[in-house]
This record gives sequence, structure tokens and C-alpha cells, in this order.
Amino acid sequence: MTQPAPRAVYLQASSLLNAAGNSVDALFGPAPTPSPLAFANQITAFHVETPALERRLYDRKIQRSVEDQGLRLLDCVARLAPAVQALPSAPERLALCAALPEVDAPSPCWDAIAALGENPDALLASLFNNTPPLHALTLLNSSVMSYVAEALACHGPMAGYCAQESAAFDALYEAWQLLREDRADSALVISSSPNLTPAVYLREEAQPPLTPLGEGAAALLLSQQPSADAWQISVQHCVRAYCPVGADALAIAQERLTACLSQAHLQLSDLALVVADPSDPLLQALLPGCRLHSSRSHTGDLGASSPLTDIAYACAHPSHTAAQQARYVLLCSHSRQGHLGLLLLHLSPQEAHA
Amino acid sequence: MSRTRIVITGMGAVTGFGFEWPSLWQRMLKGEHCVRPWQPEELSDDSFPVRYAAPVDMQQLPTELAEHPAWHTDLERRTRFGWIAASQAVRDSGLNASALQHAAVLTASGAPQHMLADMRLSLNGDAAPSWQTLFAQRAALHHEGTFRQSNDRLARVIADDFGCCGPVLNISSACAGAAQAIGNALYLLRRGEVQVAVAGGADSVLNLDTLGALYLLGAASSEQRWGADLCRPFDRDRSGLVAGEGGGFLVLETLEHALARGATPYAELLGYGSSLDAYRVTAPEPNGRGAILAMRAALADAQLAPTQIDLVNAHGTSTPLNDATETLAIKQVFAEQQHYQRLRVCANKSQFGHLIAAAGAPELICSALSCRDDRIPPTVNLQHPGEDCDLDYCANQAVDQPVHYALSNSFGFGGLNTALVVGKYVEARL
Repeated sequence: MTQPAPRAVYLQASSLLNAAGNSVDALFGPAPTPSPLAFANQITAFHVETPALERRLYDRKIQRSVEDQGLRLLDCVARLAPAVQALPSAPERLALCAALPEVDAPSPCWDAIAALGENPDALLASLFNNTPPLHALTLLNSSVMSYVAEALACHGPMAGYCAQESAAFDALYEAWQLLREDRADSALVISSSPNLTPAVYLREEAQPPLTPLGEGAAALLLSQQPSADAWQISVQHCVRAYCPVGADALAIAQERLTACLSQAHLQLSDLALVVADPSDPLLQALLPGCRLHSSRSHTGDLGASSPLTDIAYACAHPSHTAAQQARYVLLCSHSRQGHLGLLLLHLSPQEAHA
Repeated sequence: MSRTRIVITGMGAVTGFGFEWPSLWQRMLKGEHCVRPWQPEELSDDSFPVRYAAPVDMQQLPTELAEHPAWHTDLERRTRFGWIAASQAVRDSGLNASALQHAAVLTASGAPQHMLADMRLSLNGDAAPSWQTLFAQRAALHHEGTFRQSNDRLARVIADDFGCCGPVLNISSACAGAAQAIGNALYLLRRGEVQVAVAGGADSVLNLDTLGALYLLGAASSEQRWGADLCRPFDRDRSGLVAGEGGGFLVLETLEHALARGATPYAELLGYGSSLDAYRVTAPEPNGRGAILAMRAALADAQLAPTQIDLVNAHGTSTPLNDATETLAIKQVFAEQQHYQRLRVCANKSQFGHLIAAAGAPELICSALSCRDDRIPPTVNLQHPGEDCDLDYCANQAVDQPVHYALSNSFGFGGLNTALVVGKYVEARL
């Protein structure tokens, strides 16, 4: 039993949706202003208007039966469809790795709850008579994965994650490995921020968000094939750990950082760009002397879709424009719960491969 | 470079049969099931259409587990079951704290709880329900409910309890969740990311909200003529899933790590595969395309030919569509030399119900024990196989035969498919 040599993995395309817009360039323009939440004026957040789905790609019933967080993601994925369709992958060689937050209170509940308010003694009748048959679909992250798979004819390996900020990093990690190990030719990595309901503020009340939360979605297309863009972007290495506050968090993080950089024989000073939340105390301590870049000022904390948004941001960063040489970019993701993810990207100008 | 071998060295299961796997296994081999009359605690008038389930019986909680912090912490029911199952698995493995320090934790944790009760806090007199009302009353929210407990709480509770600082992942792929957790753990160990992983899942849909939703979707059976013998995978009279609850966890290690500390593996985890139906959200692809892809991917990953498999532990939900499509898919995958005619198939859900996101974990435990003991638990309540169900399903009686390799299917809602391959542990594998 032997293992084949790992394949190279390239970033082919990305698609975003957040308060700044749906173009990566918008992350480098004027920052939008967060606005108060409808249910708590004292809290501000970056809102996104719920998109209308592309009818040529999705059945129109989906618009009515999917939660807003799912609709944002499906809208985002639709913009990747041309890139997916341009790849020569067979459907069973196209993987799907998803980071989708749990839906805490599905929209169809509201009608049932209202009916319960009118007739509190008729619990079951209120519930059943006012809940659409497909109510269960809105509860399930797998429904959204299913819609993506159906729309893009994606039959390949799959993986779904739901662990707040770190889920997208796990999805990206798995996609990277599926391609490296030649289990797939291409992989869609998709992520969505959670609906901004009370739950996202109450679950971790002891650890409030460092920056205002935001609504959004992000999707990447990875492939064994390099893209035809000006820069070829490949995933060099990816490292994960769990270092909750109170444990030897910094020591664990430092050990993982060293492991990540040593894969490319690098030191921190060799990096052209470090993308990390500048307000995160652990990341500040982990990356002393580094200027930390982030898209959060334009998007807010997007939770599960933060890492993929930051990857698109890192790859499009204006600092690459004048560069002539290949360069390395490090992305650091650290959840409030303690999940750490480090991603090392290699960017090389197309000429280098001519 | 030779491939790293991964073995199972610890197991824990919480099901309607109790709080440990040895009694689960013994009772399953006797042909018992733990489905019984059930109704949601919110109702007391037998009006709920789903009348049977396989709940965890807290009366069976062993004294030595009564003081476990899982029962004394604000947690959802699913998280408690999962924490207990993971603790049992770790204890079973004999791993010490230092070995667990770098371990990974991978969990699948299913449906949120107390949602309906919490949502009622959004009501304020005659006004329409609103988040604003609910947020103002947040102090009244259930501390063990979805507004206070995140979906990945189980993963973090386990990691914190055992001081694990490897990757901590929470899986979300519906009924394929626990199998994906175990499959991802297999990959992660093979890749050398860690030497030890604790993987599995926990779920409880036995509440008005979630089982009500499954009923409205047409997935849960409301049939009453069979009494508690309602879960009838592959039978002509199967009528829908019968929900169970609980959790299952496995400790997985590299063989090198296990042998170095003197552990005796239960079985070897050999392969994992997954796929997407990309068909319809509410029904499996009628030709079993996705199931076939997942099973073939798992066999390829295990580097085994289909003819080497002795047992398929089927997803076997007792729904008309799944059981027929899965049978069709098995016949396709094991078509060579008409191996499907010699293959044994069993459906553990007939005995402890459908554990939804957690299902794949206790079912893999059963497959591993089949390999260890050369015994296959029966598919109970199978009296008259359906027209489209024509395999050997080990009906109603355990089968004693050599089981060198077993394949375990878990198919998730929305067409998310997984398969795991487990084998008898042997010192040298050619």
C-alpha cells in the first residue's frame, strides 16, 4: 500500500457577497458603515440585502424555502458557475466542501408561533397547520449543499462543517487535501455567515465579538490546474489547532506557525502579506512586528465566511500589483472559541511559468 | 512510502439499549430492539402522529456515570449523550492525558433543541412575534436550548475535557455526519496531522419541533399497526424512519501509536468515500448513483475489491425509497461474480432506530465488532422482504460467519453519501 506524490492545488476563482458588495475590489474601496440591528439598537452590524436567486440556475421554489444565509450563499455560488463549467472535470471529480452555520430558528416557525400566540392551547394544530411541509429543509445545512450540487452537477466527494468561524477553514483544508490526494480534480469551497438573529449574540455572550458582525457569503474554486490569471495562486500548506483561552494558547499557536512556515523554509519576515484580524489579542501576540491586514473593516466579522473572504482579499491585495517576484501570503484564522487555522499561499506571476 | 494503518482502540455508545457498547452488542445479537411507545414531552394527549421511537432510557444510567459532568452542566440532550459516549470511548482505549493532548476531535452534532419553547418568547400580546421581543426576554431563554448552545458545543466540550489541542471539527452533513467525522478522522490520521483522534456523533430529534418537521416532510413513520415493531428495513411494509437518540464515539489511532502503548485494536479502519447525489433534495437518485459512487470510493480507498467484502451494514432507514435504492446500489457495486448473492447485509436501525446525525458511529462500532467476533446482528422485523429488496439481510436472527471486511453506509438528507470500510485487525496486512 503506497501513497502517490501530492498534487499541486491552485485557486481558480472566487466569489463574494458582503456589505461592501459582490466584487473583491470593493474590499479596497470606501468602507460601509454598520447599522443598528432591528432587534437591538445598541448593537451594530454590516447588513446585506437578501439576493434574488439566478432563475436559470436554481428552481424558483428555492427562493421561498431557503433561509437568508443560504440564499446569500447560493447567490455567491451562482457567480462561480461559469468558472466551474469551464473546467474539464467530470461531475464525480468535482468536490464540494461547505461551511454552513446551523439555522437557529427557521423562518416557517414564525407563522406557527403567531398561531400559537392566538391559540396557545392548540399546540399541535398551531404547529402543523402553519408549517409548510418542507419546513425541515430550512433546518438542514445539507439542503443548501444539495441545491449547490444539483445546480453545478457536483457528484464528487463532499464534506460539511458547522463550527462558527473555523468551519470554512476546515472546509478549505479538506478541499485542499482532496485535490492533493487526487480524490478530485476540482473543489468548490463554500461558506456563509449566520443569520443575524439573537442567537449569534447570546450563545457566546461571555466572549462578545471583537468587531461588529456582518452578513455575507464567500466561495472559492480550487483545482489541480493553474488558472490563466496574471497570478498563479497555489496552496502551500495548511495547519490547524485548538487553543482555547486559558490553555497554553500562544505556545500551541507558535508551534503551529513554525510548522506552517517551515514547510516552505520561511520566516515571518519573508512573508509579503499577513492577513489576520488585527483586533485579536492572540494573533497580535503570535505575529509580533507584522502589519496585519484584514477585510473586516469593510465586511464586519462574517463568522464562517470570514476565512474565504479573507483569502479572496489576500489574493487581490494591491500590494501584489507592483511585485515581479513570487511571494508568500499567510492567512491566520482564530475563532473566539479557540480554533486556529493557518494557511500559506504562494503567488507567482504567470511569466514565471511561461 | 507505505500507507499508515489506522485502528480502532476505543468505543463508546449511548443508545436506547443503554450507556455502553458491550450490552448494546449482546442485546443486538439476541435480536432485540429498543423501540417503544413515545410522545413528545410537550404533549400529553397522544395527539402526536408519530407514536414510537427508541429513546435513551435514563433509568438505565449506571451509578458510576451519574456524577459525570455531562449531567450537571447546561447542555443540550444531544451534547450530553455525545460527551458520555466520547468519555466511554476514551476510557475504553486506555489512553492517558498526555497522549490525548495532541489528539483531534471530530463530532457530528444534529438538531437544535428547545427551539419552539424559546421562540414562544418572541410573542408579545397581539403583536406579531419578533426578535426584538425575544431579545428583550433573553434572560428567560432555555439555558440548554439552541439560542444558548452552539452546534459545535459537543466538539469543544470533549476537547476541553480531555485537553485536546489538535484540530477540533464539527461536522454538518445530516445523517451522514458521524460517518463523515470518522472518515475525516481516518484521513487526518493517515496524513500525519495527528496520531490520535476521537470521532463520532450525537443527536436527539425526539422533540416536538424536529420530529414534527420530519413527520411533515413524510420521512418519519406514523404507522401504528406494527406497534413497537415499526422499524422494518427492507420489508414490504416499511413505512418510514423510526427515530432513535444517543451517540457513538471511536478512538482512532495510527497502528504504530497503538502498538507502542500496548493497546489491542478492535478492528482496522481501512477506507472512506463520499459523494453527492446532485439530484433532488427530498429523494435519493433513483438509480443509486450517489450511493454507488460513495461505496466505490470507500472500496478504492481501502484498496479492496468488492468481492472481498463480507458484510454491508446498510443505511437501511425503513423508508420505501432508501431501502429500494440502496439495494439497487449494492447490487451494482457488488455485481462482479454476482457477489451480492453471497454478501450479507444488515440494518442496525431496525434495532436502535435512526440516530440521524450520529447514526454512522454506533453502526460502525457494530461493523467493527462483526469483524472482531465474526457475528452479524440481525435486521429485525423483516418478515416479508419488499419486491425491490432481494438481498440477504440477515433477517431476524444473528448470523455467525467470518467477517474479514465490512462496509458501512450512511446517506444524508439532500443526497450526501458516505461509506466506511472496516476490517478484522491482523498484525500484518498484505
